[in-house]
Amino acid sequence: MSVGHVQRAIEEVGIPTASVYIGAFAHVPRQMSLARALVTPHPLGRPLGAPGDTQRQLAVVDAALDLFEVDEPTIRDFPLPYRPAPTR
Amino acid sequence: MSDQDDTTVPDDPTTHVETLEEFANSFFYGSRSNLNLKFLASLDPSDAADTIGALLDTIDDVLDHGDVRALVDRFIEVQQQAYRPRAGATERFAYPTGPFSLPSKPLSESRVALVTSSGHFVAGDDPQPFGVTDMTQTEAEARISDFLRAAPTLSSIPTDVAAADLRVRHGGYPIAGVADDHQVALPIGHLRHLAEQGRIGELADRAYSFVGAASQLRLRDRVAPEWADLLRSEQVDLVLLVPV
Repeated sequence: MSVGHVQRAIEEVGIPTASVYIGAFAHVPRQMSLARALVTPHPLGRPLGAPGDTQRQLAVVDAALDLFEVDEPTIRDFPLPYRPAPTR
Repeated sequence: MSDQDDTTVPDDPTTHVETLEEFANSFFYGSRSNLNLKFLASLDPSDAADTIGALLDTIDDVLDHGDVRALVDRFIEVQQQAYRPRAGATERFAYPTGPFSLPSKPLSESRVALVTSSGHFVAGDDPQPFGVTDMTQTEAEARISDFLRAAPTLSSIPTDVAAADLRVRHGGYPIAGVADDHQVALPIGHLRHLAEQGRIGELADRAYSFVGAASQLRLRDRVAPEWADLLRSEQVDLVLLVPV
């Protein structure tokens, strides 16, 4: 819920926002009527992807930025399943 | 049978047989504390047992082929189910509508700021929760109840910070992945890359992080509006938020 409060406050002062939620918290952006949210199928503690998986992390950030193109509140899923990155 | 053979001493901890409920609860800040698995404590004991059994059912693929996909998928599935609100449960902080602002300029010309509830800070700028110097992750987990009663502190992170100077501490989620690779929750490098590519105009000079396990009322009513004003004073055009 904590980021939801912050996101709503930032929108209140006129700055557009987008957030990235993991699937376990997919109910939060809906419940809090957040402006824009991307929901990933990631486990707790890995919001943008596995450590070392720079390609996926970047793709998730890029998909979140796509949300700034919408003209109404939007919650979108990031579809690709989570996979661990090779050991570094 | 002698007197010494009578082992039915009810208060003797060495004879206590752990119940399934106690076992599940032990993962939630207990003797087996594991923030990946703390959700087990929220399940009925029989559901917790079924969940563990379902995870172990994937062991053939792991043992025979080193294939962890089924294990990963099942773990995420059961974790999501556990966090899903129960049918009929009262939803805290439910709002029928929310504020919505439109961008004033194209993304490729926008200054983007980053806010995460990851618990990051820069070495030498420890927020020192409750006045504790160099609080460890273990101490943060042990004091999760204190965190949940207090207003959160905002840590300011220069976006040209070296990864080696970043620290993360948060008693509410498993930090291993983020500690291994800060961009898992604090994607400064990715946003800088996207600025270089022209996808965004620029990354703001400072990113922000806080411990999201905090007093939600104090955050909503006092702290979040102050942070929003701060971002407005820094003339950022868009904000990307990463909850953990």
